[in-house]
Amino acid sequence: MKKSFWILMLALMLPMAASAAESRIISILKSIDENYAIKSDASAFVQMTQQKINQGTKVTGMQYYRRDRDDAFLIVMTAPENEKGNGYLRTGDNFWMYRRNTRTFQHINRDENIAGSDAHGDDFEERKMLEMFDPATDASGKEIFSEEKLGQIPVNKFEVKAKVHDVDYPKKIYWTRKDNNLILKEEAYSSSGTLMQAGYYLKYTQVDGQYLAVKFMFLDEFEKGNKSVIEISNISTKPLADSIFTKAYLENLSK
Amino acid sequence: MLALIRMSLRNLFRQKRRNLLLGSAIAVGVLLLVVANSFSRGISDVMINKVLRWVTGHVTVAYNERSRMASEIFRDKDRINAILDQHKDVILQREEAIGAFVKAIGVGKADNLMLIGLDFSAAGNEKSRKETEEAFRLIGGNWDDLNNSTAENPLIISQEKARYLGVKIGDILRIRLRNIYSQDQSARATVMGIVKSDNIFMQPVAFIDMQKIKDIMGFDAHSTGILNLIIKDPMRNAQPLADALHKQLNASLAVIPAAAQKSDLPITVLGYRSDPDSRDKLSKLLTLRQGAWDTLWKDKTALVSAPLAQRLRLKPGSSLEVRYTDKWGNANTPMLIKVGGIFDPQKVWGENTILANDEKFYEQFYEHWPRAAQPNEQAAIPGTSHTAYALLAPEWILLPRTLTTEDLEKKYQDMGKKKQKATLIDVRTMYEAGKMVLQLEGVLNLITLTAALILLFITLIGVINTLRMTIRERTREIGTIRAIGMQQKDVRNLFLFESFFLALFASIAGVILALLIMWGLSSITLRMDDNPLGMMLVNGHLYFLPTIWSVLGNMLLVLVLVVVTAFFPARRAAKLSPVEALRHTE
Repeated sequence: MKKSFWILMLALMLPMAASAAESRIISILKSIDENYAIKSDASAFVQMTQQKINQGTKVTGMQYYRRDRDDAFLIVMTAPENEKGNGYLRTGDNFWMYRRNTRTFQHINRDENIAGSDAHGDDFEERKMLEMFDPATDASGKEIFSEEKLGQIPVNKFEVKAKVHDVDYPKKIYWTRKDNNLILKEEAYSSSGTLMQAGYYLKYTQVDGQYLAVKFMFLDEFEKGNKSVIEISNISTKPLADSIFTKAYLENLSK
Repeated sequence: MLALIRMSLRNLFRQKRRNLLLGSAIAVGVLLLVVANSFSRGISDVMINKVLRWVTGHVTVAYNERSRMASEIFRDKDRINAILDQHKDVILQREEAIGAFVKAIGVGKADNLMLIGLDFSAAGNEKSRKETEEAFRLIGGNWDDLNNSTAENPLIISQEKARYLGVKIGDILRIRLRNIYSQDQSARATVMGIVKSDNIFMQPVAFIDMQKIKDIMGFDAHSTGILNLIIKDPMRNAQPLADALHKQLNASLAVIPAAAQKSDLPITVLGYRSDPDSRDKLSKLLTLRQGAWDTLWKDKTALVSAPLAQRLRLKPGSSLEVRYTDKWGNANTPMLIKVGGIFDPQKVWGENTILANDEKFYEQFYEHWPRAAQPNEQAAIPGTSHTAYALLAPEWILLPRTLTTEDLEKKYQDMGKKKQKATLIDVRTMYEAGKMVLQLEGVLNLITLTAALILLFITLIGVINTLRMTIRERTREIGTIRAIGMQQKDVRNLFLFESFFLALFASIAGVILALLIMWGLSSITLRMDDNPLGMMLVNGHLYFLPTIWSVLGNMLLVLVLVVVTAFFPARRAAKLSPVEALRHTE
């Protein structure tokens, strides 16, 4: 099951903004992007509960620090016990994995898994919806867009297609609230058109006047029965010390 | 001489019982040597031409695009093939090694599979197909069904995986994998056959048609995956071929000869390297008229030469669309450029030059490989000796040649530290990539030959002892023939001829027996499903590889050893005085 952390952080900064201009889809994507950019530092505690068929439940905890102006983020694992103290540090083009037991740093690829989960290094990078996706159109060239209700909530439902290859899924369908463009649901499809994953944004909160999604659930639609629930807490947008985004910081945590 | 030969042959047949025993001992020695040598050659053949063939080939041309794990792709297949065509005399087969680890969902169960592409179409290599069929015994279905057009993604799966996933022929498997862009991809595949392999490492495999897996993984018609080369005499040719290919794969500068969308103004688009060191050097080399370096690096935008910016009224923040003809003749291929800075071209750069961030540049370059720049279009590019040349993006990065596994690993570790934007190309041989397999082959050969040589040594001690006994027994006979006038030299030669003919006949018998034993042993079907040594079997049978020259070599070795062994007792016999020899009693 794919847990896209860029979506997670996107949701951290998801705005109430709504607009209606050129294309309805582009307008929604633009409003998301405008508010997605993290202007300040950010930190949060993230708990990921993964449930896999025949493998039981695994709870992963991590402290997450992010500074977009330096293309930097740091993840410090707090659970499970065997991952505690391990970490992932990205600064610019460098991406390291830190192993507490051996106190060593190893360069890893941005598409490698993080802490045995399905999240990859590149999921933590700053991404813009408009750079990744274009509105999908039907045979007549019309945007695939509709207005409907998700439960009792009026939503815009629209389809986007990837305009770059560097995305996990080349096709997505979003359900966003009509009143504030908050994403409520998404479906991700493979290039062969198979539904691979459905994501539900279960809970939002407000931080510094912005709506932030703090609970998501991702259902594996390919291998039914697998699911992940991500919960975010202790969110802060206070400035972080420069020393946090260093190897020494991770090493000191192990002492 | 002829008289001596006749006498020696007569003596051989006169002493039938004794010579039969001695000949049998020599025959057993030859038998052991031929069987052991053939088995050893068989191991080498299996390891080098059957196991390594699947793992690395004898020589490998490998790629990695933009540091993505799954992107083992090179976008200009023709270019690579043109280079390989120059080595047709050495390269027997070239095979695209396209495969993926996939999650497969069968009937109620899921498991990981290694999905491998095979070209069993009419255009495929017949020898390669034969080798595959030898390595994987079909126990259900038909290999030809890999190309069955009525089934959705026909697949042939190993018995172990079919059993675990609960699928039978005709069932549908759903598979999930990461394509060359690291995107989640899925497909349905129809089980059309079930195979069994004696190689424990090949048990989690499934095969699919090469074109099908290329489509699923996102390869286009101009792309190629990693190429495994099967070559003549790999032990001798692998390193020289790899060195030659490495030399020919040297990269040029990546250039996009484009034109402005609206004015048809010719524009040369180059990529600048965006690693911190290159950025630092570039910022010292170029004079920025507009824009800021920090913003430019962060936004990954392009630098435009001042005259071009003036003509097209560009400034930092504006966008420009250029068009160019790609390598395959598609004119008007668009490229969108976001301007981040305006630089002074001075006399180094052409007036209409754009320097794009290499990350953005390669996205365009590899997806739509441009036609080669004409000499007049290259005039605007700094020469190879200029400092600026090293700061520009090459077509690809050719990794240095390494000769050992340790060096190869270190090379990859060093490369892993850099987030390379360009495609990496590496040329390696089985000596670096398949060291473990070769070491295993070496150890098994050593064990086999050591055991054979010990047995041969024991046999030879017996032969020496018997020859000494023979001469001792025939001392009176030596005295008689010496007394009637035979020269010392003739006596020595007589014994040497006897030994030679005895060894020759025994060797022939030993070879015949060895061939019969090898035939018998290789007829026995062995089941070593869970034993790694099963990889040395071919279709469940022991594999011997006797060759005329190896058999003749073994015979010659034994003949020489026997004659040399016989020489000293024969010389001693020849030196006996006729009187003393005649007086000799047991």
